[in-house]
Amino acid sequence: MASSSKVSRAIALVLRLVLGVVFVYAAWTKLRTPWELFAMEVDAYQLLPIKAVELVARALPWFELVVGLLLIAGFWLRTASTAIALVLAGFFTLMVRAYVKGMEIPCGCFGANDIISWKTLLRDGSLLAAAVVLVVLSFRARWKAPSASSLQDA
Amino acid sequence: MKMKLCALALLAMWPAMAALSDVDPQKTAGKPSAAVTIEVFSDFECPACKVFHDNTLPQLQRDFVATGKVFLVFREYPLPMHAHSREAANYAVAAARLSLYQAVADAMFRDQAAWSANGKVWDAVASVLTPAQQKKVKAGADDPSVLGEIMREVSIGRAVPIQSTPTLVITHGATRYPVSGTINYEFLKGLLDGLLK
Repeated sequence: MASSSKVSRAIALVLRLVLGVVFVYAAWTKLRTPWELFAMEVDAYQLLPIKAVELVARALPWFELVVGLLLIAGFWLRTASTAIALVLAGFFTLMVRAYVKGMEIPCGCFGANDIISWKTLLRDGSLLAAAVVLVVLSFRARWKAPSASSLQDA
Repeated sequence: MKMKLCALALLAMWPAMAALSDVDPQKTAGKPSAAVTIEVFSDFECPACKVFHDNTLPQLQRDFVATGKVFLVFREYPLPMHAHSREAANYAVAAARLSLYQAVADAMFRDQAAWSANGKVWDAVASVLTPAQQKKVKAGADDPSVLGEIMREVSIGRAVPIQSTPTLVITHGATRYPVSGTINYEFLKGLLDGLLK
């Protein structure tokens, strides 16, 4: 029983570090370039009015940075992992929609020129699966041992 | 220290400068000395390239190229998925050698729907040429140097790497930004204004 809890904690640690680093990297690729580049990628999905595109392009990289850092640091783990799972589910849905519609557009994941393909879908699908596992592990840890678990929210 | 910085900047800019050194002047627009260079990698049979050509390009030309702020370079990037785009690129490059690139490019984008369906690319090309020009462009399209120029531009695109068309490679100093997909002019203008500040 104790060893299974150790394994869960180890898996959660690896997942939160991987997802945290991926989100910080995704934020960095966007924040190091003019925001208009990411805005063009968001706009390419043809879903939002121009003002909303601008808002997303300016705010999303900072959101990715904050939740990525929270995951790496292990703070507010349930909140951060749930937020990341929801955001990844949103990204994945939009990418599948664009792929099915045959739109040859950049996914907007890690900087410019990353065109949506089965490879980007596989990559984002894997990240989504990892985030869902992390959410389950973080909530399960709370239900099982709320006071002792290292997975609980800070 | 200043010399070292200049040398480093030159070194960083070298790939872009080398790639632009042998550009056909007929496939450019604006001043080569402009602060920003935009290479347009395009495929005549790609619908998004037509949208860019018809909507975004005229605004870009009016606001930035005509005012000397941006130097435009047109690059051929015929995608293998399009049956007639290589033939179209051959005609365009052959026309460029007679200073007719823009006229032929405009005609091919204008009639894209027709020739991409029936394969009659030549009909669009011929519509804007005199019989004498038609003869020269037809002959030029089979010229090995024309085919070589397209191959070279495709190689330059692969090195970027270009993954879809149209892709704009925006070079400002030592920095290069590839932009692809549906290119919204408002954001492109904002980006260029920011770079030119």
